[in-house]
Amino acid sequence: MTDRSVSRRRFLASTSLTAGSAVAAPYVITSKALGDATTPPASDRIVMGGIGIGNMGSGDQGAFLGRPDVQYVAVCDVRKKWRDGGKDRVDAKYGNKDCAAFVDFRELLARDDIDAVHIATPDQWHSVMTIAACLAGKDVYLQKPETLTLREGPLMIAAARRYGRVVSGGSQRVLEDYRTIVEPCWAGEIGTIRSADLSIGPPPMACYLPGQPTPPDIDWDLWLGPAAWEPYNAGRCDGNFGTGGNSWRSYIDYSGGSMTDWGAHNFGGLIFATNLRGQQPAKVEYHPRSADGKDGAYATIVYPTGVEIHCNRPQHLKPQKPSITHERGIQIMGDGVATAATPVPVYKGQGGIYGDFIECVKTRERPFRDIELAVNTMTGIHMLAIAQRLERSLAWDRATQAFTGDEEANHLLDRARREPWII
Amino acid sequence: MPFDTATLDAPFASLKAYDWGADASAFKPIDEAIVATQSDAAARSDIERRLIALLGPDTSRACKEYVCRKLALIGTAAAVPALAPLLVDGDNSHMARFALEPIPGPEAGSALRTALGAVGGKLAIGMLSSLATRRDAAAVPMIAGLLSAGGTTAVAAATALGAIQTPEAIAALAKADPLAGDAVARAIVDARLACAEGLLRQGKRAEARALYDQLATAAAGKPAARVIELAATRGIVACLDTTAS
Repeated sequence: MTDRSVSRRRFLASTSLTAGSAVAAPYVITSKALGDATTPPASDRIVMGGIGIGNMGSGDQGAFLGRPDVQYVAVCDVRKKWRDGGKDRVDAKYGNKDCAAFVDFRELLARDDIDAVHIATPDQWHSVMTIAACLAGKDVYLQKPETLTLREGPLMIAAARRYGRVVSGGSQRVLEDYRTIVEPCWAGEIGTIRSADLSIGPPPMACYLPGQPTPPDIDWDLWLGPAAWEPYNAGRCDGNFGTGGNSWRSYIDYSGGSMTDWGAHNFGGLIFATNLRGQQPAKVEYHPRSADGKDGAYATIVYPTGVEIHCNRPQHLKPQKPSITHERGIQIMGDGVATAATPVPVYKGQGGIYGDFIECVKTRERPFRDIELAVNTMTGIHMLAIAQRLERSLAWDRATQAFTGDEEANHLLDRARREPWII
Repeated sequence: MPFDTATLDAPFASLKAYDWGADASAFKPIDEAIVATQSDAAARSDIERRLIALLGPDTSRACKEYVCRKLALIGTAAAVPALAPLLVDGDNSHMARFALEPIPGPEAGSALRTALGAVGGKLAIGMLSSLATRRDAAAVPMIAGLLSAGGTTAVAAATALGAIQTPEAIAALAKADPLAGDAVARAIVDARLACAEGLLRQGKRAEARALYDQLATAAAGKPAARVIELAATRGIVACLDTTAS
């Protein structure tokens, strides 16, 4: 809700109040603008646009478009098929041709009438777009994984706080898929949590795909954005959810691979259950493959409170009788001494994580997956990825946002963005 | 046992001939050697030397890109002379920065500053981006001069000064009119707010408060500057919060 949009709403609200007495009013205020039993008046709707309307973005768009308290006005995608599809859905919903369609997100962000945007681009864009949106006075619903590098997170948080923006991360699963471990943990049933085990996917790959002719329906330079220039290849930029080599989610320039893509959910669910979302890890201990080769390498994320999260630890090293388990490769050990129950944080508003975001846009509260909590989640996974890449243990200084005593690891805090992109 | 870098002769030969789409598995041993030699300075130095040798005109852009990715991890001042000429080459400028940006020491910063003086447009913004990430204090006078360049270069210059946050950077930003209403002015305000936040994080409340006060006073009562006034007011409140760092 920008200051301008507040003014716009106040204008519409005050105008509608006088509609009955103002001669000209019936000609400029439509019935849709005034609302009805199921649709709030225009003055109470959140005006939204979407950036990145592909596989995940179209789902996000559908969720927001279906809300009576949202007025969806613009889409942006560098691919014509996604852009046209997104516009068509909006126009069909409202029965007009009013939805604007942009190739360049900066044009969408320049519209003063837009209160909030959802972003579902490849990950190399997330920080640039989120910071730009905050600077433009927009609230942001940002698909996970929210960050691609460690340096990006604090800059995104700073932009959100500086301009008083609501910035929600986009893992709908953290609350909805992990209730069976979240609720007992927060109820104190398993006592003080000491450790956990987690199965987490592999890191991304380098991409060596050959070039192909660039199709006319994609702005390839804008698709790459801050990432290194590489020739077009359909497998490099496909938006399917796989991470095996035929999608952008597979490759290090655009994604953290399955490790961050599913990790944002799975690691996110685990640290929500164990109430670690407010912390960042103190270190990652790297355990190399055993000398006899029987045990593969694994790593342990250690929090300042001493809680240890073992990632892909060999089965025989795990507790044989964990306190609680989750089907997605999570098991948690508590000390068994029941503790006082603590209320579980839940979504605000109605309609899952999307409703939570919209409610917070209205109330200016922080959402369930506030950007700071999302960044904390991603920090743990990025640390894990770097420890695995370097095959060594790393210590983390939250205050300086750097690894302690490991200059080489600090080379991986960020990566130079291709011009003209800067954060 | 020291790593035998002679085992990398064939992978480096394959890398030298590499272009997009060719079999990359042939030089995977280079990736593995980089990890395996983390405690072997002599081997690392040899690998770096071999990588640097592939930055010349006889290798493809794809090869140079691979090399720059590796130098971003293990590169030292020794790599700077070979990377510096690529900074002014439109095809290779970004990846040269990709390698240079994390290399510690004055040599990399000096190369970026020299390139900033030699290029314009997008490439200049690239230099500004890397100098910002490095928080290169020595670059402040050059960057300050670009605030008057207008357009996206001036916006990037402001962003860079907002990242560097030295007293000189703050002083340079203070000279610009925060209420000009264009993209450059907005970036300058954003940079000044970032500098104030940096001061506050360092516990320099009085200095931070002064920056916020300047912006709040300038914006007070001006509807078009409401966003600035609100942001500055949030900062003033943060300065009053003695429980925050």
